[in-house]
Amino acid sequence: MSENETKTVFRRLGLRIAKATLVTAVTGVLWLVLWLLISSLLADFPEYLALFAVLVWALLFFTFAIKVSEGTIYKYILIIMRGFFLIVYTAYATNCGVRTVKIEDFTLTVEFIPLLALMITINLLAIARGLLQAIEFTSQSPKD
Amino acid sequence: MRQTIRALGWIIAILWIITLLLPVTVAFSLMKLLEAKNIGTQEPTISFSNGNFTLSMPFYINNTGFYDLSDIGINIQMGKEKKTISAASTHLLNVPVGKKADSSLNFSFSLEELVLKDSELLTNDTELDMNASLHLRVAYAIAFEASMGFTTHWGVPFHNLTIYDIAYNSTTHVFSFFINFDNHASYPVNGTLTAKLYNSTNALIDSATQNVNVPSGESFQTSFAITIDDPSNMTHNGIIRLYFVDAQISEKEWTFP
Repeated sequence: MSENETKTVFRRLGLRIAKATLVTAVTGVLWLVLWLLISSLLADFPEYLALFAVLVWALLFFTFAIKVSEGTIYKYILIIMRGFFLIVYTAYATNCGVRTVKIEDFTLTVEFIPLLALMITINLLAIARGLLQAIEFTSQSPKD
Repeated sequence: MRQTIRALGWIIAILWIITLLLPVTVAFSLMKLLEAKNIGTQEPTISFSNGNFTLSMPFYINNTGFYDLSDIGINIQMGKEKKTISAASTHLLNVPVGKKADSSLNFSFSLEELVLKDSELLTNDTELDMNASLHLRVAYAIAFEASMGFTTHWGVPFHNLTIYDIAYNSTTHVFSFFINFDNHASYPVNGTLTAKLYNSTNALIDSATQNVNVPSGESFQTSFAITIDDPSNMTHNGIIRLYFVDAQISEKEWTFP
């Protein structure tokens, strides 16, 4: 590889990282706004804020990694991984769709199993979509 | 394949919109219900007659929200020191949007049941532990259950029940004594008060009955004079047992020289 080719590869990689950082930053700002809205509501429940924070950081990581791996098979692997992560994490964070909040002598239990089932279905569809995209990507010749 | 991928993309987007909008609209629907007092209770009615205690609490749900309410249930549990004394529950199947449903929660228990669980619930004022819970499902998808524990003052119908001035006239064979109590309950005490005399071998000597009607918050005093039909049963000591309707509410030992 000549020096010029190496420079081009580094420039492309740099551009890709810059683009991914920008997209991740924009996404991060949107999550931050949501965080600010939610944090006042959930100020008394730090454990829920912690669960939300883990979700946000994981999604930001996937956003960045998917953007960086654009044009490679890794992009679709990451999309499938994100789908699996969201299924497992939403089931864990929502205690399988039943959450209880206790404030002194008052207890509120919310059961949203149908909603969780819908979220899992969406992520399964996203995984299926990622698989199809991966198959389509691998079936394309370099010329395409 | 591209069209399938595109179709899947659209389906995923639509489903995400539904998934995110549903909880938000359900929350607004509930706020609409709670803000205008569309769920509430009416004045409870308490009655106490023939040894049966009945509490009826009417409640209503006026569904002004966006979604049907289903699987509605209300439970109230009354207990003392982690021991359940009585529980009541009611269940409504469905309240469609724009409709109002009325129902009532009914507590009913006999004095005998109450005495069996805790005899002091008739003679000593106490604080009872109450646990009320409301369960409802909105849009057939999201269920809420709110429960609250609180204490309530239990004013007893036979507070400070005392049997005193016990005497026996061996000439006339009249056994006499006084009883006294305060009705601290929020309902009148209405029924029959029976005194039974037992000798030292726990054999029934005689008994007498009086009708009582004591309004809420008032004191009551009465005397019993029981003429013993068979004085041979009489011993130097024994027990007086006091019954209200069929439930024993007190007993006191007596001894004569």
